[in-house]
Amino acid sequence: MSETEKKHNELGSILIQKDAIASVARQSTLQSYGVVGLAPKNLIENIRQLFKKDAKYGVDIDFDHDGLLIDLYIMVEYGTRIKSITNSIINSVKYNVERTVGLPVRRINVHVRGLRISNMD
Amino acid sequence: MSAVELSKLNPEERHKLVSLPVNGQGLKTLLEAGMIWLKTNQQTVNRLNVFPVPDGDTGTNMVLTMQAAFDEIETSGMENIGNMAHAVARGALMGARGNSGVILSQIWRGFARALDDEPVMDVVLLSKALTEAKETAYKGVVKPVEGTILTVIKDIATQAEVSAQRTTVFTDVLADIVQAAEASVERTPDLLPILKQAGVVDSGGKGLLFIFEGMLRFLNGDALDKAVTEALPLSEMDLEDAMETVEPGQDYEVVIDFTPHQTFKLEDYYDDLSKIGSSIQVGEGDGIYRMHIHVPLENRYDPIDHTMKLGTIQKVMMENLVAQMDERKNNKNPKLNLAQVQPGETAVVAVSPGAGLSRIFASLGVAAIVQGGQTMNPSIKEILAAFENLPTDKVIILPNNKNIIMAAKEAASMTVKQVAVIPTISVPQGLSAMFRLIPDAEFEENVELMNEAIHDVETGEITVATRTVEIDDVQVEKGQVIALHNGKLVTSTTSIETACEELLIAAETSDYERITLFYGEDMKQSQMNNLVDKIRSIYPDHEIEVHEGGQPHYQLIIAIE
Repeated sequence: MSETEKKHNELGSILIQKDAIASVARQSTLQSYGVVGLAPKNLIENIRQLFKKDAKYGVDIDFDHDGLLIDLYIMVEYGTRIKSITNSIINSVKYNVERTVGLPVRRINVHVRGLRISNMD
Repeated sequence: MSAVELSKLNPEERHKLVSLPVNGQGLKTLLEAGMIWLKTNQQTVNRLNVFPVPDGDTGTNMVLTMQAAFDEIETSGMENIGNMAHAVARGALMGARGNSGVILSQIWRGFARALDDEPVMDVVLLSKALTEAKETAYKGVVKPVEGTILTVIKDIATQAEVSAQRTTVFTDVLADIVQAAEASVERTPDLLPILKQAGVVDSGGKGLLFIFEGMLRFLNGDALDKAVTEALPLSEMDLEDAMETVEPGQDYEVVIDFTPHQTFKLEDYYDDLSKIGSSIQVGEGDGIYRMHIHVPLENRYDPIDHTMKLGTIQKVMMENLVAQMDERKNNKNPKLNLAQVQPGETAVVAVSPGAGLSRIFASLGVAAIVQGGQTMNPSIKEILAAFENLPTDKVIILPNNKNIIMAAKEAASMTVKQVAVIPTISVPQGLSAMFRLIPDAEFEENVELMNEAIHDVETGEITVATRTVEIDDVQVEKGQVIALHNGKLVTSTTSIETACEELLIAAETSDYERITLFYGEDMKQSQMNNLVDKIRSIYPDHEIEVHEGGQPHYQLIIAIE
């Protein structure tokens, strides 16, 4: 299922595409300090990305009845403290997704797929 | 060295520690001064947080990052500034805390790279180092957000480049940098809307400003142990609110208007006042200062004596807070904005057990309120008096209590007006009915809508048992907390929290969307915060609202809809 249901009242239902949630998570991740890019989840995605831009690139959204499960695959700048950076990402993605989408976030996993070395010290 | 020790050094001693051009040891002292000044103003930075994210406070994160950097070099005797800067960068990296800490560590990293192998740093090198610091900081993020610490380091670097061409005097360049940083921090709300909404400047940028300002203050011979304080504009002084928070033992409120002498220093004044009392506020306007403080009885003249030494006093106001608070308590007569009904419109009269609930009813469009509830049933006469003088002859009564419905019906039969009693047995039912009111609709339509609405809501009530008894198969001991669901006893337990949880389960809350809590006069705000956190963790999908109900006896009235 690629849609997740938010709420329903007597007038109808609100359905939010996973892609929409992925975009919010993605923007928020890219604005987090220390993140220099997203990374493919797997080889297939890596190849697919060559042909078509995908909102879910580097982001995986899933959900159960307790809330959203978000996986982020990122590249980090070499020479930064990864622990602090990943903590900040988790905090800001959770905040932004919950605020804009209105669904509780149950879990965020950050996978650091590599470091970018712009300068050697 | 401590903040006080550093502050006590005379200019000569200071410049001995930081010889120019700056070497490794000089950088160490400057860094320490910057860190100490940041620490002194840590709370100011913390207060600027706008995101409710559990990332910790910016001020604290930056101080801890600076502390880690300083710990790395504290005992180092290195004379070479390049090596020293690399050690600083290493320490900052290892100890980086939070977002702002990580950016700060990148700033030091870039700073160090530019100083590679250099023995000393002059203004040209300083400018180069700051530019490199800026570039490194910007490299750490794909989508830099402007109006943050990044913008401030960028403006600092730009200014340093300009100043280094103008002069070779280190302190002059540093002064320019601090000035540019200040302006940059002030501009952050224009660049980042969320700051503007919150009415603050960027916290990380402000922290960075304090670091450079600390270095400058040290070289200028200024103290580093007293936080910067700014006088508020007179219009922003909130004396009403200060009244609400009277600390035990602080019995007198003193307000002094004065014109300070030339030598007046706000930091020192704050510092002295904080030794005398609490709730200190200083405001300024047109050269006149207004000071507000709460003091214990025996110190009530101290603020006057002290202020007299620093300026010319124009006016003194002194009030006994305890007496005033008592008066406030007795004078429970809140101004209610009741609906003004027009002839022909439907007016609603609601029975309300507490001041807070009365305000809520009024905000929903109730035209008259009758005080009353569980243990203080209003008389027929009181109900009648509430609507007899309203300029309309169509009246709806919300008794909001089982025991008052009868009296309301009696009142209805004693008037020539057209009166309908909606049999609401609880406040939530009354509120639910109010939401359906359409003042200019047909009377019958309103009555029908409101009668329907009372079944839309589940009512919960939490109170303390006044006697030992067994009802609805539940054994209740006197003094225990009991929970009622739609008037039926659900549980008897020892804590409000447990009673609440069991009540929400009994009311099948998971099938509903919204929980509204009205807390009674016996509940403390802190208690409520804990309770709400708890409920939120159990029902994360529900909308939870909290209002002051002000009702007696009932700790909580809960609407579940």
